[in-house]
Amino acid sequence: MTDADRLLAEYKRRDFLKLLGSGSLLTLPLPGAAAPVRLRQAAGGFYEAFTGKIEMGQGARTLLTQAIAEELHVPVERIRLTMADTDLVPDDGGTWASLTSPETVPAVRRDTAAFAGHAVTPPQDWKILGQSVKPLHGPDAVTGALRYCADVRTDSMRHGCVVRPDAYRARLESFDDEAARALPGVQVVHDGDFLGVVAPDAHTARQAAALVKAQWQPQPLPSLAEIKESFRTRSVAPVEVKETRYPPLIRQGDVEAGLARADRKLQRSYWLPPIAHVPLEPRAAIAEWHDGAVTVHCGKQAPFLVRAELAKAFGVPESKVRIVVTMPGGAFGGKQRGECEVEAARLAKAAQAPVRLAWTREEEFWVAYTRPAALIEVESGVDAAGRLSAWRFRNYNAGAPGLRPPYAIADMSNEFWRAEAPLRQGSYRALAATGNNFAREAHVDEWAHALGKDPLDFRLANIEDERLKTVLHKAAELFGWGRRKPGNGRGFGLACNLEKAARLALFVETEGDAAHLRAVRLVAVGDFGAALNPDNLKNQMQGAIIQGLGGALWEQLRFDATRQLTRRLSQYRVPRFQDVPDLRVEILDHRSIPAAGAGESSITLPAPALANALFAATGVRPYALPLTG
Amino acid sequence: MDLHFHLNGVERRLALPDGLTLLDAIRDYAGLTGTKYGCGEGQCGACTVLLDGRAVKSCVLPASAAQGKAVTTIEGLARNGQLHPVQRAFLDHSAFQCGFCTPGMITGAVALLARNAKPTEAQIRAGLQGHLCRCGTYPRIVAAVRAASQVRHD
Repeated sequence: MTDADRLLAEYKRRDFLKLLGSGSLLTLPLPGAAAPVRLRQAAGGFYEAFTGKIEMGQGARTLLTQAIAEELHVPVERIRLTMADTDLVPDDGGTWASLTSPETVPAVRRDTAAFAGHAVTPPQDWKILGQSVKPLHGPDAVTGALRYCADVRTDSMRHGCVVRPDAYRARLESFDDEAARALPGVQVVHDGDFLGVVAPDAHTARQAAALVKAQWQPQPLPSLAEIKESFRTRSVAPVEVKETRYPPLIRQGDVEAGLARADRKLQRSYWLPPIAHVPLEPRAAIAEWHDGAVTVHCGKQAPFLVRAELAKAFGVPESKVRIVVTMPGGAFGGKQRGECEVEAARLAKAAQAPVRLAWTREEEFWVAYTRPAALIEVESGVDAAGRLSAWRFRNYNAGAPGLRPPYAIADMSNEFWRAEAPLRQGSYRALAATGNNFAREAHVDEWAHALGKDPLDFRLANIEDERLKTVLHKAAELFGWGRRKPGNGRGFGLACNLEKAARLALFVETEGDAAHLRAVRLVAVGDFGAALNPDNLKNQMQGAIIQGLGGALWEQLRFDATRQLTRRLSQYRVPRFQDVPDLRVEILDHRSIPAAGAGESSITLPAPALANALFAATGVRPYALPLTG
Repeated sequence: MDLHFHLNGVERRLALPDGLTLLDAIRDYAGLTGTKYGCGEGQCGACTVLLDGRAVKSCVLPASAAQGKAVTTIEGLARNGQLHPVQRAFLDHSAFQCGFCTPGMITGAVALLARNAKPTEAQIRAGLQGHLCRCGTYPRIVAAVRAASQVRHD
């Protein structure tokens, strides 16, 4: 575990405990600093509101503005929401794990109602929440006025570029910077293995970096096969942890005894390779030091974590670090840490000037962290009546999210085994829940076929949650499940999930064998409890499903003995217009049920549904992603 | 080099270093940041601008390609404070999430409609295949472009 990993783990733990504890998101202010405020009245009937959450396209700005407007009984236009400037806003935790709807919205409603001096408005009386308010950043998005970090210009700003080795990890042995220094206004920054340049403009910075001749000692990388084997042989078994958002061990009954007395058993192993987030905006940061304090503009999901990371990197108190978040152009879990920010701050410190560092697409591909590879082993059994009765589920390396099955199984053990991976890895939209649902739903589907049962009926017979059953029934009806038989290259498959309190089902029609597999028709139904902004919810569900097609069908990063080979968009297929099937998404709105988050969970559906459809069409069951190999 | 061209209807002269892309010229020297860098190899379409009315990937074009020509960026589509019908349709359909692909997507769609005023859904998909939306708002974008094509010619 690196220092950054430990910091992230600690931050996420505090984030969770904070929410468990007071029920309010307000944290203790920094020593000597004024307590952050949530709301204040401004002139002209306006209100200024403050949140540590960020907008990255998922709709947090609009949703939180709706929540505040609801409790103040004013139109959304009266609210000016400042997001994620660590000197101005309360720490609402990272913008991750789909927490804005279930946790930040209720907290903001409580704070706002208290500010306004009345009780929190009950859902049946909502006038603004529950409405499809259009994204507030829309007008700026369609005119090009929306500014991302790389669009920001500050006074006397200089431009940085990091000199990188070709290898994934390498020690700097020596370098010759004479040619680079000969360019006007170029400074070369060297500190340990860090080597970079600062120049008056971005073009010169790139030129100068290319002129630095550096000798690197590359460190070897194990192959993915060796990494997979190390997961199996060198991982750490989980222990039960109570106060955590994602328990690494979820047990019930006695899984060993359950497996021993099962009528039939099935043992399977599943694999997901590391993949890249590929946000369309490559990350950038602008750092500026002043009197021993640093301000960094960046498009990151966790401003307070990045603040802590910078404070640690430079040995200064957090009060000397200010993070100002510009909207990221997509993040998908890939913009949680401060790697680019620390680099920009190092360059700025050495150059004694504000420095902008904008990563290239290549850097975005291979310097940023990946979605962790997953090895998942499942051993399960059914009783004489053909019901799931025993279930041992082990996720190696990918993480604990989404471990709990939606199936009622008497004896089970769901486990996340921690591994030491040699690749940079971190969060990703829904993280391990995608791999876990792929393995689980493919496994359950295999049982249905082994027992000669319809895959939908088999699931319904093993699920007790009525809302999930309703979602499955509704999606099956809209899809016309069972009306046509697979064959002639056509496959029909389904997957469901109960993830982060959302009940989800997806049915897919595919064509083609494994190498040419494509989705031609998709029907998905989601029950997220109260739909706080129904159209945005639908947009999130559509988008997550479409994004999930990439990981299901094509995405994987390739490496050789020292390097990441996948570095360009032309080497990495993600979904495009012509890959998108006929897609129908429906939301079941239950105003009285607390809202679940929706930014992530639907991405867990496409991979297993497509894998199950592929089996239906070809009789060959895939156990690894991507499905097209 | 000295680039003399029309940018969003205004005659501009820019003194540029050699080897600059049209994208860098527009963003760093003309100061219009609506056009985005996404991949640097013409694969994502975020850098799309109109060059004499035709959609081009400005990240793989040398700035000299615009010499004596007319370039239109996302900032140049609205007229007299009125959004272009394609911009309006993107808003009406909430055809974006993070918005980073949106400027290139809209300029690409404007060029597509200039070539084919009444495209079918399949023609829209094919015409915009070179544009990536990582948030996956493709169905909304198709609906928005269709709607814009109706508005323009009804």
